[in-house]
Amino acid sequence: MNKSNGKYKNKSFFFLLLLGIAAVVFFVLDLLLGSVAVPLSKVFVAFTGSSPDDPLVAIISDFRLPKALTAVITGAALSVSGLQMQTVFRNPLAGPYVLGISAGASLGVAFFVMGFSSVFAFGVFSSTGAWSLALVAWLGAFMVMLLVLYVSTKVDDIMTILILGILFTSATAAIVSILQYFSNESMLKAFIIWTMGSLGSVTKSQLAVLVPAVVLGIFLAFMKMKELNAFLLGENYARSLGVHLVRSRLVIFLSTSLLAGTITAFCGPIGFIGIAVPHIARIIFRTANHAILLPAVILIGSVLMLFSDIVSQLPGMQTTLPVNSVTALVGIPVIVWMIIKNKRFSSV
Amino acid sequence: MMGQGRFNISIRDMAIGFTNHGKDPFILRKGINFSAYHGEMVALIGSNGIGKSTLLRSLIGFQDFFEGDFTVNGKSIKTITGQERAKLISFVSTDIVKVANMTVFDLVAYGRFPYTNWFGKTTAEDKKIVYRAIESVGMEAFADQPVTRISDGERQRTMIARALAQDTPIIFLDEPTAFLDVSNKYEIFHLLQVLAKENGKTIVLSTHDLNIALREVDKFWIMLEEETYEGSPEDTVLNGNFEKLFSNSHIGFDHYEGEYFFKKEFREKVKITGEGIPLNWTLRAFNRLGYQIVMDVTPDFYVHVTGSGNDISWQLEKKGEKKEFDSIYGMLLYLQG
Repeated sequence: MNKSNGKYKNKSFFFLLLLGIAAVVFFVLDLLLGSVAVPLSKVFVAFTGSSPDDPLVAIISDFRLPKALTAVITGAALSVSGLQMQTVFRNPLAGPYVLGISAGASLGVAFFVMGFSSVFAFGVFSSTGAWSLALVAWLGAFMVMLLVLYVSTKVDDIMTILILGILFTSATAAIVSILQYFSNESMLKAFIIWTMGSLGSVTKSQLAVLVPAVVLGIFLAFMKMKELNAFLLGENYARSLGVHLVRSRLVIFLSTSLLAGTITAFCGPIGFIGIAVPHIARIIFRTANHAILLPAVILIGSVLMLFSDIVSQLPGMQTTLPVNSVTALVGIPVIVWMIIKNKRFSSV
Repeated sequence: MMGQGRFNISIRDMAIGFTNHGKDPFILRKGINFSAYHGEMVALIGSNGIGKSTLLRSLIGFQDFFEGDFTVNGKSIKTITGQERAKLISFVSTDIVKVANMTVFDLVAYGRFPYTNWFGKTTAEDKKIVYRAIESVGMEAFADQPVTRISDGERQRTMIARALAQDTPIIFLDEPTAFLDVSNKYEIFHLLQVLAKENGKTIVLSTHDLNIALREVDKFWIMLEEETYEGSPEDTVLNGNFEKLFSNSHIGFDHYEGEYFFKKEFREKVKITGEGIPLNWTLRAFNRLGYQIVMDVTPDFYVHVTGSGNDISWQLEKKGEKKEFDSIYGMLLYLQG
C-alpha cells in the first residue's frame, strides 16, 4: 500500500507537470494567434524590450500579453474559489458566485452604468471609465462579501449561509432588473456587454492591482489547505479534529471573495470555469486532497481560460466573441466527454 | 479507595441545552452526573429525545453546556483549546462520510490531523499509526478501497480506526451500531470492548442496542427525564434503575433472562410440554402472541412438542379435540382461525 501511495503521488506529479507544459504552450499560442498572426521572434523582442516602435511588438506587449496574463489569472482565481466553495459547502454545484459576489459586483456596475454614467457621458469604456467600472464592481462585491462574512460569524450552520447567499443574489438581481427597466438602450447595452465578460479590457496598470489581489487570495487558499481537507468530512468531524470552524471559514470566504470579486470587477462575471474546473481536476487526479487539487485547478483553469481566449479572438478574423459564451461552449463538451467516459459526475 | 489517581472523566451537575439568541438558554436536561475510568467501555442509554446526542455534543465541545462541569483527570474541559481537545477526545458521529476519491487509508489518516503541520503532511511515523489503526479494526484488506464503495459496517470500522489514529485517551461514539445488521452490531461492540481493554481507552457510546450492551459494556450511563444513574449493567438491573427506562411504556423487562418484552393483554391459557430447543421456541411463539403460559392451573388448551431437528411435531388438544401439526406456523394459523 505504501508503494501504491507513492505511485499515486508520482502520477499526480506527472499530470501536474503535463498541465504546466500545456499552460506554457497555450500562453505562447495566445500571444501568437489573433486577428493578426505574430511570429514567435517578435514575442522574444517584446519580452526583451528592444525596438518598441514595431507595431507587432506593440500588439504583444500592450495588448496580447496583458490579455494572456489576465486569462491565466482569471482561470486560476475562479477555479480556486470554486474549489473552495464546493468543499466548504460540500456541494458539487457550488461555485465562486454562491456567496453572491457576482451579484454584488453587477449591482455596483448597474448603479454606475445605468444610474450615474450619464454624468460622465461617454466615459464608461474609456481608460478612466474602465478603472471606475472596476472600482464600483469591486465595491459591490466587497459589500456583499462583508455581509456574508458577518453572517458567517453569527450563523453556525453552513446551509443557512448557502441559502442567504442565494437570497442576496436574488435581491441584488431584482434591484438590477429595476435599474435595467428604467435605463435607456445604450446604457442597457453597456451593462449587458459587461455581463458577458471580457479579458481584453484589462490594462497593464490594472494588472498591477489584479495580480497581487489574486496572488493573495490563492496564498490564503493554500494556507487553509489542511482545513479544506477537513471540511470534506463535514463540519462535525472538522471540529472534532481541532478546526476552528468560524475562523477557518472566514479566511476561506475572504480568499474566495478576493479572488472572485477582483476578477468580476475587472473582467465581468465569467461563468462556468469556477464550477467546472474543480470537477475536471477530481476526474483527472482522482484525489480529494487539496494539496494536489489546489495546484491542479490553478493549472487546469489557466489552460482552459487561455484556450477559450484563443478561440474567442477567432484567429484570422477582425472580431472577438464574448469570453463567457466561449468558456461555456469550449468547456461543456470537455465535461460531457468526461462524464460519459467516467459514467458519472464526480461528487465532492 | 480504588481508582484514585487513575485516568478518569467526570461529569458533575451538568445542564445541557441550546443557546437562545441572547435570551435565557433552553435547558434540555440538568443535574447530569456521570463518570468513567480508563479502560472502561460505557454505554449511554435513554429513550429517543432524552438528550444523549446533545450530551455527547456538549462533551465534545460542539455546543456549550450551561451548568456544572466536564473534567478529564480533574481538569475542566472549558480551560483547553480546540486543538488540545482534539488530542484528548476523538469522536465518531452519525454523519455518513462519502467523499469521492477518498480511500479508507486517506480517511483513517485524517486522525493524524491534530499532529501534522499546516501542510497536512503525514510522516512515516504517522503512516505507521494509521496502518496500526486500520489493522486493529480488521480493515487491512480494504485500505485502498474508496470509501464510497464499502458497506455500512466497514465504514463504521473505518470511522473507528480514524478515531484510533487520532490517538486520544477518550473516544465518544454517537450510536455507532444504528444502521448495522445484528452480527455487525455484535462485532462493533466487541471491537470497542477490546480496544478499551487493550489500549486502556475510555470509550463512551450512545446506543439503543440494550441486549448487546447488557452483555458487553462495563458501565451504563442511564439518562431519564428527571435524573441520571450509573453503574455496571448488572447493578442497574438489580437495583431497578435499568427498568426505569421502560416505565410508562408497554415494554417490560425480564430480570432473569436480562431481556425486555412487550407487555401484552393475555389471551387464553396454554400448558406446553416437551423438551429441549423445540420446547423453548414453542414457548417463545406463544409468548409472542400473548398467550398466558401456565403450569399448575387448568389451561384452555394443551400443546405437546416431540422430536428434534427436521422432524418435530406438535400435538394440540383443545376442548377434547386433538390435532397434529408439523410447524409452529401451521398450528398458530389454526388457533387463530
